[in-house]
Amino acid sequence: MLRPGTVFGGGIVFAALLSAACAQTDKASTAGLPPAPWISRAIPEGKGEVKTQPDGKKMQVRYKRAPFAGVPQDWSDYRTYAYDDTRPAPPVSKAPMTQVKGDPARGRRLFLSRAQGPCTGCHLIPGADVWPAGNIGPDLSTYGDRNLPDEFIFTQLYDSRNFFPHTTMPPWGTTGVFKPEELVHIVAFLKTLKGPVPPEKDPDRNPDTRAKPVGFGDNLDPTNNPAVLLAEGAMAVWSKKGPAGKACADCHAGGPEKSMKEAATRYPKYVKAYQRVMSIEDFLTVHAPETTGLQMLSQSADNLNMTMLVKMQSNGMPLKVDVTSPEAKGAYERGRASFFKRVGQRNHACADCHTKGAGRGSDKFLGGRLLADVEVGLTKHFPLWRTSQGQVWDMRKRMQWCMTPLGMNMLPADAVEYAELELYLTAFDNGKEMSVPGIRH
Amino acid sequence: MAEIGKVRIRIPSNIKRGDVVRVRSLVIHPMEIVQRRDGKPVDKNYLFIHKVMVEYNGREILQADTTQSISENPFFSFTFKPTEPGMLRITFLDTHGGKYEGTAEIKFT
Amino acid sequence: MQEWVEGGRVSRRVVLRALGLLGVSAAAAPFLAGGPGTASGQGNLGSLQPEEPVDATLKRLFGGRPIKDGSSVIKMDLPLIAENGAVVPITVEVQSPMTPTNYVKSIYIISDRNRRPMNARFSLTPEMGAAAIGANLRLNETGDVRAIAELNDGTLLMAKREVKVTVGGCGG
Repeated sequence: MLRPGTVFGGGIVFAALLSAACAQTDKASTAGLPPAPWISRAIPEGKGEVKTQPDGKKMQVRYKRAPFAGVPQDWSDYRTYAYDDTRPAPPVSKAPMTQVKGDPARGRRLFLSRAQGPCTGCHLIPGADVWPAGNIGPDLSTYGDRNLPDEFIFTQLYDSRNFFPHTTMPPWGTTGVFKPEELVHIVAFLKTLKGPVPPEKDPDRNPDTRAKPVGFGDNLDPTNNPAVLLAEGAMAVWSKKGPAGKACADCHAGGPEKSMKEAATRYPKYVKAYQRVMSIEDFLTVHAPETTGLQMLSQSADNLNMTMLVKMQSNGMPLKVDVTSPEAKGAYERGRASFFKRVGQRNHACADCHTKGAGRGSDKFLGGRLLADVEVGLTKHFPLWRTSQGQVWDMRKRMQWCMTPLGMNMLPADAVEYAELELYLTAFDNGKEMSVPGIRH
Repeated sequence: MAEIGKVRIRIPSNIKRGDVVRVRSLVIHPMEIVQRRDGKPVDKNYLFIHKVMVEYNGREILQADTTQSISENPFFSFTFKPTEPGMLRITFLDTHGGKYEGTAEIKFT
Repeated sequence: MQEWVEGGRVSRRVVLRALGLLGVSAAAAPFLAGGPGTASGQGNLGSLQPEEPVDATLKRLFGGRPIKDGSSVIKMDLPLIAENGAVVPITVEVQSPMTPTNYVKSIYIISDRNRRPMNARFSLTPEMGAAAIGANLRLNETGDVRAIAELNDGTLLMAKREVKVTVGGCGG
């Protein structure tokens, strides 16, 4: 249950964070940042490069496989997490209601359209075909009973910030996801939603009464989680001599079991040699070629499998990432600012989905997905096996994917911005036991 | 996928004569799904595991005929009741002639 | 908690000789193909099978034989809501003494809304000690999943459960 105090308290925390972020922009913000932009050592699809097509259109190079494949948009116009991207959020705007006649049936189709919203990702409406609806926003099943003026609803859809400056609802009209005439149809549809609502035949249709997902079983069972088998495959790489004549095994005596025990509990961490925060994945991209001569590009199979192998040696051990040294603290603060920064065409922040409060996502359904709370921990099981993709994903690819449907270009997988965001997220897991590789949908 | 055909079998660590043993197994395999071109399914020789054979000391315990409706990296579990110690063997056959095997030794405690 | 040990590190890939492949093909033909006289005798085991409504599947597999309600003896465990249709774990356990004279001969797993509803057929033996199997299914969309048990005397029993398949949360 949400209490009014929750909303208020959330607001205060948010304001405090903003002022904290502002207060340290001049001094602390550069502690722990490399002196020059980091040169990505990711596989080509993971670098986030924007290339100009033969027809002159710009396009970000994305992963070839689903779900990235088939996302044709370029979102260069919208701000990202890049530290040198100082563009402001899209300014709040209004538009006059167009004079087309609203068609409720078209409005309903637009409300359900996965290519645009879908509005049902956050709001419940009546209908057996509404599956699966989320409950981050209000249940709109009887919205028409509120008898709100058309212009008000239109403006609320066009850019909700006109009325609610801190809303998590995207400014659909301002950033052009929906055209004004489309919003007129949605207004007409919403006006038809009158009570009383017939008794719910299927408790799962309503996200408030829906059964919670059961998960995918024991993530460390190799007959349950294929990623365990892939991680074990990294043993071959561990003992393979690279062009420099050395293997991992030559310096790290006793095998990963002994030499890597507990090592991963301190990552991501500030690595002095590279003057930046690094996850295990980031570190391998530079450490492997410098010692063995073997490439271990971010998002390559070797990198992911080796990361899992290393992290598995810390399973059951509590995380203890450093956030107090001057460099780590600066990185942590920047990571926190990223977590609350609104980005992309949808003007979302990580906090919209992963913190608690009215209109926020934690422990609520986004469509069929139950969203996790940052404080409960989002990190201790990464890299993980994604059953829906049949692939191992590290946290970076997960971040890159979050960004794609939300309408912003992704950063390189090994970007400093992601590393520091990962540090901020991982700090919530300090003291909690690692369990790698995880398994999720 | 370099790991194609990797098999893993798990059995309980303590087995007594007369126990009904639960076995879990997984094989790394793409289990290629039907492709569509212009909405129409493409006819080709799809690569998927179509048969699973379980033997104990050479005797057939269980067979499964499987299709593309089985997930990538197929997982199977089953029970069996060993009356003597021996070797459990699981063989997976795919539509392109691939044969993948895993074994687990059953000892009584 | 159950402790487990692992076997099965053996792994190898061998290509069956043409003869062996044909043998397998012939054995599998009645199950995989659309019916007598269809293609798979050519060794092209993975060839595309026609789309089939579930009623036709049941007719093809069981003819007109009666299928009794087996919900009291068949225990199906699978998620009511699948977070992802690509991996839907299912276990089926049929109450049976599993003796040479009284055992479950086959368990069929059928999902109504898949292009080809017939997903897997398990052929059991009394040596299993129990009639319990598990697998991970791919489900196209929300719909019923059936488990049909065929006893050694030819009796057919069925249980079914609806599984709701969810799709991604935002856009795309």
